[in-house]
Amino acid sequence: MFLLFILLPLFSLIVLNLPFRAMMKKAAFWWLLVLLALQVYLAIGYVFGFFGFDLNAPIYPLSFSLNVDNFGCVALLSTAVVLGAVLLAAKYIIKEEEKLFNFISLLFIILAGSNGLALTTDIFSLYIFIEITTVASFILISFDKEKLVLEAVFKYIILSAVATVLMLLSIALFLLVSGKTDFSAIHAVLINSPHSLIVMFATGVFICALFIKGGLMPFHGWLPDVYSSAPAPVSALLAGIITKLVGIFTLMRLLVSVVNFDNPIRQVILFVGALSVVAGALAAAGQSDFKRMLAYSSISQVGYIVLGLGAGNALGIMGALFHLFNHSVFKSSLFINSAAIELQAGTRDMNKLGGLSAKMPVTSTTCLISSLSTAGMPPLAGFWSKLIIVLALWASGNYGYAALAVIAGILTLAYFISMQRRVFFGNIKEEFAGIKEPGFGLLLPACLLSAITIGLGLVFPFCLKLLKF
Amino acid sequence: MMDKILFLPILMPLVLAAAIFVIPEKLRRAKEAMAVFAALMNLAVAIVLFKGNIILSLPWLGKGLEFSLRLYNFSSFIIAATAGFGFLITLYSIMFMRGKEYARQFYAYLLISISLVNGAVLADNLLAMLFFWEGLLLTVFAMIAIGGQFAFKAATKALIIVGITDLCMMAGIALTGHLAHTLTISKISLPLDALGSVAFVLLIIGAISKAGSMPFHSWIPDASTEAPLPFMAFLPAALEKLLGIYLLARICLDMFKLAPDSGMSIMLMVIGVVTILLAVMMALIQKDYKRLLSYHAISQVGYMILGIGTAVPAGIAGGLFHMINHAIYKSGLFLTAGAVEKQAGSTDLNKLGGLGRKMPVTFICFIICAASISGVPPFNGFFSKELVYDGALERGNLFYILAVLGSFFTAASFLKLGHAAFLGKSSRENEKVKEAPLPMLLPMVVIASVCILFGVYNALPLNGLIQPIIGTIRLNGHNFAGFPPNTMLVIITLVVLAAALLNHLFGAKAGGSGIKAADHIYHAPVLSTIYEKAEKRIFDPYNIGLKVVGIFSKIAWRLDRGVDWLYDTAAPKLAGISSRAILKLHSGSYSKYLVWSLLGMLIVIIFLTHSV
Repeated sequence: MFLLFILLPLFSLIVLNLPFRAMMKKAAFWWLLVLLALQVYLAIGYVFGFFGFDLNAPIYPLSFSLNVDNFGCVALLSTAVVLGAVLLAAKYIIKEEEKLFNFISLLFIILAGSNGLALTTDIFSLYIFIEITTVASFILISFDKEKLVLEAVFKYIILSAVATVLMLLSIALFLLVSGKTDFSAIHAVLINSPHSLIVMFATGVFICALFIKGGLMPFHGWLPDVYSSAPAPVSALLAGIITKLVGIFTLMRLLVSVVNFDNPIRQVILFVGALSVVAGALAAAGQSDFKRMLAYSSISQVGYIVLGLGAGNALGIMGALFHLFNHSVFKSSLFINSAAIELQAGTRDMNKLGGLSAKMPVTSTTCLISSLSTAGMPPLAGFWSKLIIVLALWASGNYGYAALAVIAGILTLAYFISMQRRVFFGNIKEEFAGIKEPGFGLLLPACLLSAITIGLGLVFPFCLKLLKF
Repeated sequence: MMDKILFLPILMPLVLAAAIFVIPEKLRRAKEAMAVFAALMNLAVAIVLFKGNIILSLPWLGKGLEFSLRLYNFSSFIIAATAGFGFLITLYSIMFMRGKEYARQFYAYLLISISLVNGAVLADNLLAMLFFWEGLLLTVFAMIAIGGQFAFKAATKALIIVGITDLCMMAGIALTGHLAHTLTISKISLPLDALGSVAFVLLIIGAISKAGSMPFHSWIPDASTEAPLPFMAFLPAALEKLLGIYLLARICLDMFKLAPDSGMSIMLMVIGVVTILLAVMMALIQKDYKRLLSYHAISQVGYMILGIGTAVPAGIAGGLFHMINHAIYKSGLFLTAGAVEKQAGSTDLNKLGGLGRKMPVTFICFIICAASISGVPPFNGFFSKELVYDGALERGNLFYILAVLGSFFTAASFLKLGHAAFLGKSSRENEKVKEAPLPMLLPMVVIASVCILFGVYNALPLNGLIQPIIGTIRLNGHNFAGFPPNTMLVIITLVVLAAALLNHLFGAKAGGSGIKAADHIYHAPVLSTIYEKAEKRIFDPYNIGLKVVGIFSKIAWRLDRGVDWLYDTAAPKLAGISSRAILKLHSGSYSKYLVWSLLGMLIVIIFLTHSV
């Protein structure tokens, strides 16, 4: 049944593009929105057990192995939420109908790829879905074909290609060791023969490939350039789901379902996570370009997710997954805010901006909410996920990393407050005296995402009871 | 039902004080009448209760703690004395306070103080006593603070010093309660062992600081010049002495069995002698009527502490007798100071002079009280001092000699004061000074007569009041009434007084006027440097304490700055430097990024495979 999550977007893409292309142009937007709404409904329904039937029942005659678990559902949910927000923002920002249609077509591919990534139980299919998503994102980034963007995307392609090669090598080695490609089969073999040189080598290579895809320090070189030069909706998409799913979610799958996740690997994960958290936050603090600051902040927040994963206990993995979802919500919101500012003020240099909160109250407020959630202020959603991660680190005995996570939270707050002060607070400058809020089309996604952040933060204690972790 | 009457001396002044606060400011007469009425009522209650013997015990706070009040000869005596002074001083204040805007507050605080003193004296439970005792701290603060803009500093000083010593007493009460397993005073009987001595010392600190002994004295001279004068006559001179010495006597006689030759006894005697001498030396050089008196208020406490500290019957009887005598003549002296201030407009001895002819009644009262404090026979001070000397001699010659030396300086300073204020030439602005009005004279005359009465007929206070307190067992058949039996001591005292007179005549002749009569002592070789430092308050424990606190606060401030620097400067700078360093590494070259990634991978793989 869940195969539909992959097949429906692909099928839609073909139908929309083939015979009656001119007629379908208007329908594409609404159709994608309907698909996303359905996905949100099904994912939430599955997690909380709304349905009486088995969603995993295979659809004949295809026998393609998929499996839905809470893990995958969180990925499906984040994908749907972020894609929805990006779709709304793109409709407002991209004025030409033809361009928008192409953009939406690419979003269908991304949707298919991400859903497949979330649901697959086979390491080779995983690789295929990663590539589908990544390649679609290359095209999306270079959508405007400007020089800076092309340079950035070139860096991304090079590093991504390296990661692809490494991944294939690793998959080949796993196949060599176990003779199969499904997660459970490989896992069964690896449990019996842990710590063999070849398994460790393959695992290391795979992990590093995912670090590159996820943009963790020091594998992150491509990330700041791409995030800051890509069109605003694409930045939101990249930061919100693509790098998170392709890199971090896959890393979780690999570590939890495939390899034997024990001490030396944990140490690597923890160290890389901590490095990303601290160095990312420090780099973000020194930025004057709004989007570049968000890019480094993204590295830092991904570090938190990885730290939670590195704690290795159930609490840590749950915190990581929850932070992944929260991050996709608040970071997309921040990128949409940055788009609004760039669109209205014509610049995203924070030193040139100032005092915008009087003229752009909605943008200012949603930006503040997302910033505070990122910094982990109660009662917003980001507070809970960071709290769980810190608790998990403490419970697993990594006291130093727990303390580091808390201190980096202060640093996060510092650079976001500084951003808020430089962009929104204080006296408005003369050249921005006539500035206005962007249209409803751009405010709506920011408001929706902020509402999710606040709402989830408020009802989280209740959710915690229901989640079956 | 009869025992509930014990609430009357506590609650009645309190209710009437509230009434005074409520009376509108315009009805000055009503206010004054109310104050006099309240003091009179209190006196009536005190007379009714006098020599009564009532115990009131009510359940309180649970855990065996009872709110108990006990009226017996000692407490009824203190209550009667308080009521008497309260009445006389209220009467006196009617004239003195007229036209002063804080009069209403003064009457109210006076009545509240009376209520609290009654409570503290009656309380037979240490916790209840502490409650009333601490309340008195507030009225002292309030009464000094209403004196004007400079008074606030003096009030704060009083609050801090007495507050700290009360804290000691609180600890002492806790320790005593722990050791004795009860807080009921009449049931406590502790030996002076190691912990017992600690509790004893802590309690003593509270008692003698209330009485104004050194080294807890330094707020009294400051308050004397700032606070309203009737306050000085009433609280530090009379009330707090009564209360402090009362508690001291209870501690030494009832709660702990203070024996002669014990270390604690010697400690008390040393405190007594030191207080006598140092305070009187300071009194000698004062050039202000009120300030000079206030130093004597400190010095005389020394005799009481010395007397009780001897722990022999004569000394204890002398100490307690001196307590009541001192309250009488010192309040009398303060009242003469108030009369002089009211009539001549100043208490600065440089501006006074020749008042004796213009204010004859005041002058006579002054002479009687001054003779009394100096220990001239046949006034009351003479008899109580002789008893203290007797006790001190029994314990050691040194204590006796020093105490007599104190007497010499007391006499000298009062000769100087009387000479400077009432004799000599009157200055021009004093020409029109008249005698004080009757309501001010009456209390002075009554007090002066009591000075004579308690001297000539000393059997009345000694047989009637003091000796029952000490008890027949401890008295061991002594009877101290009548003329001192030891004629040798009397002769020595008279010789010392004559010496003081000679010294004064010599000094006055050398200095040319009464006020300079003590200058030859002031300018004596070693003394002059010590005096200079003392006048700069270098020896004031309060100032030393302030300095220590100042140093401590400076250190704390530095620490605070350091922490601040860490947060405000160091941390952001460190973050800024590392932030710039990280940004410099991001040059934008993809080959560099590729190298980072591959190096990272190499390290990860080596780490992982190495662990196999």
